Amino acid sequence: MIAWLEQVTGGLWPYLVVIFFGFLPSEIWRWLAVFFGRGIDENSEILVWVRAVASALLAGVVAKLILTPSGALVAIPLVWRAGSLVAGVAGFYLARRSILAGVIAGEALLITAAVYFSG
Amino acid sequence: MPADPASDSPSVTWAAARDGIRDAAGLPALMLMASLVGVGGLVRDVGFPMGAGVLSTVLIWAAPGQMVLFGTIASGAALPAVAVAVSLSSVRFLPMTMALLPLLRRPGTPIWVLLLISHFVAITAWVHSMRVMPDMPPERRIPYFFGFANTVLVAAALATGAGYYLIGQLPAALAAGLLLTSPLFFLLNMVAAAKQPVDWLALGFGIGLAPFAIAIVPSGLDLLVEGLVGGTLAYLIHRFIKVRRAKAGAP
Repeated sequence: MIAWLEQVTGGLWPYLVVIFFGFLPSEIWRWLAVFFGRGIDENSEILVWVRAVASALLAGVVAKLILTPSGALVAIPLVWRAGSLVAGVAGFYLARRSILAGVIAGEALLITAAVYFSG
Repeated sequence: MPADPASDSPSVTWAAARDGIRDAAGLPALMLMASLVGVGGLVRDVGFPMGAGVLSTVLIWAAPGQMVLFGTIASGAALPAVAVAVSLSSVRFLPMTMALLPLLRRPGTPIWVLLLISHFVAITAWVHSMRVMPDMPPERRIPYFFGFANTVLVAAALATGAGYYLIGQLPAALAAGLLLTSPLFFLLNMVAAAKQPVDWLALGFGIGLAPFAIAIVPSGLDLLVEGLVGGTLAYLIHRFIKVRRAKAGAP
């Protein structure tokens, strides 16, 4: 299929793939939300549920990135990957709720572990 | 009906947009750049041109979706299957956008503005907005959002292009550090934004159920199922506590 696209579009096919097989399938959910959300009141109970589902989904994204890593993260054992998140949250609270401090604490632990495990 | 016509003046709008740009142009932009550098590297690995990577950041505007797009293309999947996988990874934008729009929308906001806003919904701008919008005067919210979201988008697009050329040169430890930035920054933002018990419950269930969802549910659907199950559980517990308190408070 990609060979066929190459012929038909010249060098443009990677851009068309991004638009038709990346952008549109992804964007549809944002557009649907605009139409579904039109009648919903700001204080309605259903929005509390929708928000909870969105938050659980995001937390799931975080967990999945740590549990099934890619690239250079694979070389670092799970305990250290998860421990870096814990260190980040600890740094956040120790520095009076500073996100920057949390990021530095988590990254410091992970990069130290990475130097140890991957050299 | 606008109570105070002066509150909609161009000066208020621009001041709000500038505040959005200023708030984005620090840690949020840096963190997003760190995660999109990795996407740039992936685009190069699969043999796509740099411009297609930058275009994917601007249009798809979801690093996980972009990873799925280029990752499944690299694995040789058929294009319709690629589209389904990307779409599944972006289902979260439905509840996220539905939750955000009521905070930004005002009576008479045209539909095309809402559609434009919805395009910029992604984790960074969403978590930040859910945190700051409730305390912001309504007339400042949309310009602030556009200022913030466009700043992180431009930074991320530049980082995608830079990553295309740079990622191969990085030492492994630094590359691992870059890959940690997204989950770490998202988590810290969610912790910072959590106010009510229902927020903590959703966060806890989302993380706690993940190992089971990944093990049991077919890949691609796992996050969707766990979001629905975890979010619904969090909501039901929140309802249960609320009803009990109402009963205890009104004998």
